[in-house]
Amino acid sequence: MDALNLALELVLMPLVAFVVGLFMVLMMRRIAARIQRRVGPPLLQPLYDIVKLYGKQTQISHGLVHDIGIVMAVGGYVAAETLLPVPGMDGLADRGGLITLAYLMMIPSLGLALGVGQCANPNGSIGIARALTAMLAYDIPFVIVIFGVAWHYGTTNLADIIALQQAAGPGGWGAATMPLLALAGLFSVHAMLGKQPFEIYVAPAEIATGPMVEMGGKFLGGLFVMQCFQFYTAGVLYVSLFLGGGENWLTFLVKAFAVVAIPMCIAFLFPRYRTEDLLKMIWKWPVLLGLAGLWLIMH
Amino acid sequence: MTLLDLLLLLSLATGVLVWLLGRWSGAGVLAALLYAGQFALLGAMDGSAAASPTFQVLGQTIAWSLDPFGRFFAFITLGAAIVSAWFMAGEWGRRYTQAGHNLRALHGALAVNVLAMLLLLASTDLVSLFIGWELVSWAGFLLMAQGGAAAVRAALRYVTYAMGGAMAILGGTVLAYAWTGTLDLGLLAERLPALDADQLWLLVALFTGGFGVKMGLLPFHLWQAPAYAEAPGPGTAFLGAISSRMGLFAIALVLARLVTLEGLDGLRILPGQFGVRDLLAWVAAFTIVLPTFTALKQNDARYLLAWHGIGQGGYMLMGLVVGDAMGSAGGLMHVFNHATYQAALFLSVYAVIHRTGTADLNRLGGLVVRMPLSFLTMLVGIIGLAGLPPMNGFVSKWLIYRSLMTEGMPLLFVASVIGTLGTILSVYKLIHNTFLGQLRSEHEHIREAPWSMTGPMLALCVIVFVTGTAPGLALGWVADAQAALGLPVLSYTLGGVASARGGLDMLWIVGVLFGGFGVGALLFYGGGGRSRRVHQLDNYAGGHFLSADVRYQYSDNFYAGLMHRIGPLYRNAFSWLESALVSAVDLAALAMQGVYRQQAPALFLLMTAVAGLAWVVL
Amino acid sequence: MSDLKQISIHAEGDAGGDPKSEGLFTRVFDELKAFCRSRSLFMLHYCTGCGAIELPPAMTSRFDMERLGIQPMVTPRQADILLVTGYVSIKTLKRIILTYEQMGGPKYVIGICSCTVNGGMYWQSYATAKVLNEYLPVDLYIAGCMPRPEAVITGMRQLMENIRTGKADSWKDYYRRYDHYLGNQQQLFGERWQTPTDVIGEADHYGLAGPETIGPHTALLQQHQVPLQPLEMRLGSRQERKP
Repeated sequence: MDALNLALELVLMPLVAFVVGLFMVLMMRRIAARIQRRVGPPLLQPLYDIVKLYGKQTQISHGLVHDIGIVMAVGGYVAAETLLPVPGMDGLADRGGLITLAYLMMIPSLGLALGVGQCANPNGSIGIARALTAMLAYDIPFVIVIFGVAWHYGTTNLADIIALQQAAGPGGWGAATMPLLALAGLFSVHAMLGKQPFEIYVAPAEIATGPMVEMGGKFLGGLFVMQCFQFYTAGVLYVSLFLGGGENWLTFLVKAFAVVAIPMCIAFLFPRYRTEDLLKMIWKWPVLLGLAGLWLIMH
Repeated sequence: MTLLDLLLLLSLATGVLVWLLGRWSGAGVLAALLYAGQFALLGAMDGSAAASPTFQVLGQTIAWSLDPFGRFFAFITLGAAIVSAWFMAGEWGRRYTQAGHNLRALHGALAVNVLAMLLLLASTDLVSLFIGWELVSWAGFLLMAQGGAAAVRAALRYVTYAMGGAMAILGGTVLAYAWTGTLDLGLLAERLPALDADQLWLLVALFTGGFGVKMGLLPFHLWQAPAYAEAPGPGTAFLGAISSRMGLFAIALVLARLVTLEGLDGLRILPGQFGVRDLLAWVAAFTIVLPTFTALKQNDARYLLAWHGIGQGGYMLMGLVVGDAMGSAGGLMHVFNHATYQAALFLSVYAVIHRTGTADLNRLGGLVVRMPLSFLTMLVGIIGLAGLPPMNGFVSKWLIYRSLMTEGMPLLFVASVIGTLGTILSVYKLIHNTFLGQLRSEHEHIREAPWSMTGPMLALCVIVFVTGTAPGLALGWVADAQAALGLPVLSYTLGGVASARGGLDMLWIVGVLFGGFGVGALLFYGGGGRSRRVHQLDNYAGGHFLSADVRYQYSDNFYAGLMHRIGPLYRNAFSWLESALVSAVDLAALAMQGVYRQQAPALFLLMTAVAGLAWVVL
Repeated sequence: MSDLKQISIHAEGDAGGDPKSEGLFTRVFDELKAFCRSRSLFMLHYCTGCGAIELPPAMTSRFDMERLGIQPMVTPRQADILLVTGYVSIKTLKRIILTYEQMGGPKYVIGICSCTVNGGMYWQSYATAKVLNEYLPVDLYIAGCMPRPEAVITGMRQLMENIRTGKADSWKDYYRRYDHYLGNQQQLFGERWQTPTDVIGEADHYGLAGPETIGPHTALLQQHQVPLQPLEMRLGSRQERKP
């Protein structure tokens, strides 16, 4: 592919991710509202929120590392989107595979952790400690799933994984050939999205929203943008691994929204787990499912 | 006079000169320049270089020669020495002398360590290996014992372990000579396959156990953290960077060149499935996981880093044992990567100690505004230690993960990732409690560390970043080392590895990462409005008016939720094992005293044991 | 005022261009921002008094404020609206003022319940503040004891309309007439009253100061104020810095 095409893809992929992520956040809020028998926000509400936040006229910063933390949080995801193939655009998927993507997704969390650290608020520090602990929990079934998928398809190149699934048709999708791993993966995706019952790191009434405690204005706006990217990345990664990627934009979007909708329908029925209970639960069921699925496909 | 002769002579001269001139204020600079000279000599060698002095023992020729594998480790050794000497050269050394310590002894110990390591790395047969090994062990003790009472206790514990390990190695050497009739490594490699499985088993167990003590493999790891943490500043950086990797060098020599990994495959434990190679891989996996979670609980920054040093050794062994091109390349590259970022981390911690006087994580905080360069060093170091892009730690870990995936070893893969995740948690606690959070009022007037200390720290940061962005620079040395060991060689590019089944190109990854940061910065600084810096007491506290006399910082018991869940699992099992062993030896010594009524019962016990061993063998 | 430390402050309108010459693009952009601000309001869930009981019904399924874009947020940094819901005791007023100063502008204060308007049920009490807008600028009052959720929502919609048309800028009044508000606060809390926030510095930084930002009351504040300079990142120590 020539340089101009690649440059275009590198610009378009994060942009698409942001727009789709905005609608995923809207979908999440609407689902929450419907479950709570309310109406929910209007169509462009996430966009209004982000514009309002960036348009704040007086904002506080706790230092250079606070600023850079938000830059890293948004920038890390912008970079990670270029490794996630969408219909028609492969980006840099061949230059860094599944493992690189999984690690690149940790950079925004690290940036956020540094920024929150300099906010010098113990609520934020507690929130980050809990978020990292939750990451220790859900990353274990996640890497079991990644191992299984990479072993089954014999490659870590996401574009190849998608191509192999599409060549075999819906019967050859990851969810059909590796159902237990798909289930474990869905569990991890739910925990990765950081919504109930796995949102102890936010805990508004207990630790004053944790990492967001001293974030206002463009800082909070950056975090809202990061949430859009987070929803998109988790959903599209799952679709690429288990639902055959996207043959065209329509099926791709339907699948991605469905993958995000399923955990969200469950989420708003629950309160939140304490950290130790979260660890116990995720280290038990998704890990067992994942290991069972792994044993099945390796023998 | 070959280049190796010159190198060893220069190394000896360095030792003599720094000892003689140790009191002179420029001694540190001189030492750093001399190490740089040795580094240049090392760089001038290509292929193997033999040394001139040889001697004969039992009809065997004992000689020294440096092949690319040894050269790889020698580069790292000298690099670590340059950085350590540079760190000591200025204000740190002056204050060390003013506090009443002996800077000349520290310089001398460092130089002796370098000489001993070079001799070890240049060994061509088991006797020169053993000579080098003993020299390295004693040189290490010399460096560790300089820190004061706690350091001497830790160093004595180390020496006990080291002597036990050395006896095992000596036993293995004697057995190998008895069964094959040769001590030369090349000839041994030819004759060892002829031995039967039991003999090979014993040799592998003795050698791996003996060398594993130095490397800190489970269960011989308890001495390492206190011994390294209590050593004086740059000494810790040097020890943590390269000292325990001498054990890996020797293990790699034995396993890869002598016994060969295919030969290891022939040794089975349970009939059919589980073999020695799997056992070693699992020992490596446990070495990755358990010390990392011990590090998580530490409240002293030096101990936290020292425990991580033990854990990272597991990655190196695992990469080596998996054995395919990517795995062994990952394991070997990890030696280099670990040296760079571990030295950087220790130096930044010692810079903080230099300015604040403490390494206690519950007594620090908020230092980023007063020591920004130390913060930058620690940030680069922790990203490297955690193995995240764009630093070099990611590349070696990627290679190891990839090889585990290709070989189909899921449980080991998960164990490695658990180690990485535990590392991320632990190093975030380190950087948060030291540099982030609220600045204490007693630290408001401190300054950044002087340039003699920040210079080496920043140089290491540059190396970590550059070898992360363009790992091909380091992979060249690694590939030569692999070839010298007889392992399959990795085919690499400047950016990493090109593979049809999913490769890695760090140049593109780092490029797109920084492009993303650029976009993020554009959105932040361009899209958002102006922001204003505020005082740290202008903070949300539920409407409470904060004041400087009440600490508003979260440091202690940082991972409270996690500790609720895994706290009961910390049973100090290995300490119990160690104390059980010590009690058993005490009891035996007491029994011996009852029988013979000697002055030094332990010595008598040792002599009896050696006599018994000799009777069994001969 | 002779011992007042000389602060050179940028009065509003010093920086920035002549408003009449703003182009079409800037005006459209400002209208877009005002629209988004009116449709996305984060209210600080600071339940000051008994009126707070009327907020959960306004947020839950029967009345649902989220369809208007209003959601609750936890800390002042994140919030746009400060709801003073009920009577304001002297102790609470100190925290309300601290919270208000910690919020980022544009910010809006809504005084819910009659106690904020004129003291309400506690008009004879020695321990309450009677008129809220003497101490901080208030955008909207919703009278009642307590106003039902319908009244709260009507008030919110009025505020949204004010924001959209640009009439809700009383937050700037706090910076423009800080001396006046500080004077009232000092009358109630004493001469040594101060918050950890630096209002004058902010006014200076953003060019929002006015002729009444500094005055005799701010002079009194400066006499005993604990230094509020943020810790700037630096390598050397204070003595070594070049002048």
